[in-house]
Amino acid sequence: MSLYLQQIKVIFWKDLLLEFRTKERLIAMAAFAVLTGILFNYTLDTTRLQPQDVAAGLIWMTIVFGGLLGVGRTFHLENQDGAFQGILMSPTPRDAVFIGKTLANFLLLYVIALLVLWVFTFLFALEIGGSIWALLLALALGSLAFVALGTLFAAVSSGTHMGETLLPILVFPLLLPVVIWGGVVTGRLLAGRPVSEVVGSIRLLGAFALVAMAAGALLFRFVVED
Amino acid sequence: MDTVLEAKGLVREYGPVVAVNGVDLSLQQGEFLGIFGPNGAGKSSLLGMLGGGLRPTSGSVSICGEPLNFSEVDWRYRVGVLSHQGFLYEQLTAKENLQFYGQLFGLTELDSRIGRRLEQVGLTERAGSRVSELSHGMRHRLSLARTLLHDPDVVLLDEPFTGLDPSASAVLRDVLRELKDGSRTVVMVTHNLSEGLELATHITIQVSGRLAWQGMAAEVDRVGFGRFYHDVVEGHP
Repeated sequence: MSLYLQQIKVIFWKDLLLEFRTKERLIAMAAFAVLTGILFNYTLDTTRLQPQDVAAGLIWMTIVFGGLLGVGRTFHLENQDGAFQGILMSPTPRDAVFIGKTLANFLLLYVIALLVLWVFTFLFALEIGGSIWALLLALALGSLAFVALGTLFAAVSSGTHMGETLLPILVFPLLLPVVIWGGVVTGRLLAGRPVSEVVGSIRLLGAFALVAMAAGALLFRFVVED
Repeated sequence: MDTVLEAKGLVREYGPVVAVNGVDLSLQQGEFLGIFGPNGAGKSSLLGMLGGGLRPTSGSVSICGEPLNFSEVDWRYRVGVLSHQGFLYEQLTAKENLQFYGQLFGLTELDSRIGRRLEQVGLTERAGSRVSELSHGMRHRLSLARTLLHDPDVVLLDEPFTGLDPSASAVLRDVLRELKDGSRTVVMVTHNLSEGLELATHITIQVSGRLAWQGMAAEVDRVGFGRFYHDVVEGHP
């Protein structure tokens, strides 16, 4: 394995190990997902509104807000003893650092996205009429795009005195395409529409995720270096 | 002797504040430079630029004749930095921290390297302890092991004795003495005049961002150095 891939792997596993031991991000995101689902379940008037009509939007908004809780703290542990400075002092290319951290964030967020999907389908008694695999793919691509942007801007906001408060202001406008295309795919598949109706939106999600990853990898060094 | 570390016209500004103001220095292999100076003299900023952690506002740093290029990473193999902060993860064990950094450097025979370094700093029995369970002195020693793990040619130490109890200071002093084996170049920023004079081969006093005085440690009157230091600091504009 080349050193570059090893460095990505080492940072990925280190982030997961830290999360496994602290559980601070996963628990916060999971609790938010479940509580949001419960709240929406009680606040929606199902005599006037069909849950499947609004579920897609609620699922994606819950993923975005819940995800921000976790992604926003990406650099929290890194800054405790200057550990991130230690990474920067090592011969690790900045794009490798970004990719490693983004992939770790992706895994965490994807678990949460699956939890959100389960919570809403369970509480709203929804049936996924379309392809479950297409829906899982859309969630994966949307999560990847989200964490790519979120990790980059979490690095930006961690270096400011506004910290996590700044992150939503920076990220939300850029996440609009993810929420729109993700919502379209989710809504149609929940309604039992064929995959052919959502292929275009899934491709757009994939392209957006690729662009977000590439942009993040290119720009990360300008954000983290003095 | 080869020049290992060279700085030319180093300046570092933080907005209107000039922390380092036109510093030139040149160190050869095996030399140990002690930098003394009052708080706010710009010592840590100078050390940060020498180690590539801070980008100079102007001027240049070369290691073994090659100018530091921030977009490249190869020169980072040659530098080890012990900072105020330990660069350690509290939730990882001592060994896991060293494994993490060792793998980032792509080091071979990592387990034996880690074993040697932990033994050198007296932490072999705490290898499996999480950093959060270690005392301040132990963390500092672990940071020193991390600094030396990749056998850097240039070792930069920022106030290494601060906050250490006598036993931890003794361990640190022994390790730093071992660094004077002629193969490494060391720069140590410290307020501790006696430790600095004992370890360093070269001395400089930094005041208001400038190197106000430089000399050989062997030529310094150790008894009267405290008085001399205060004269230099107070006499500098």
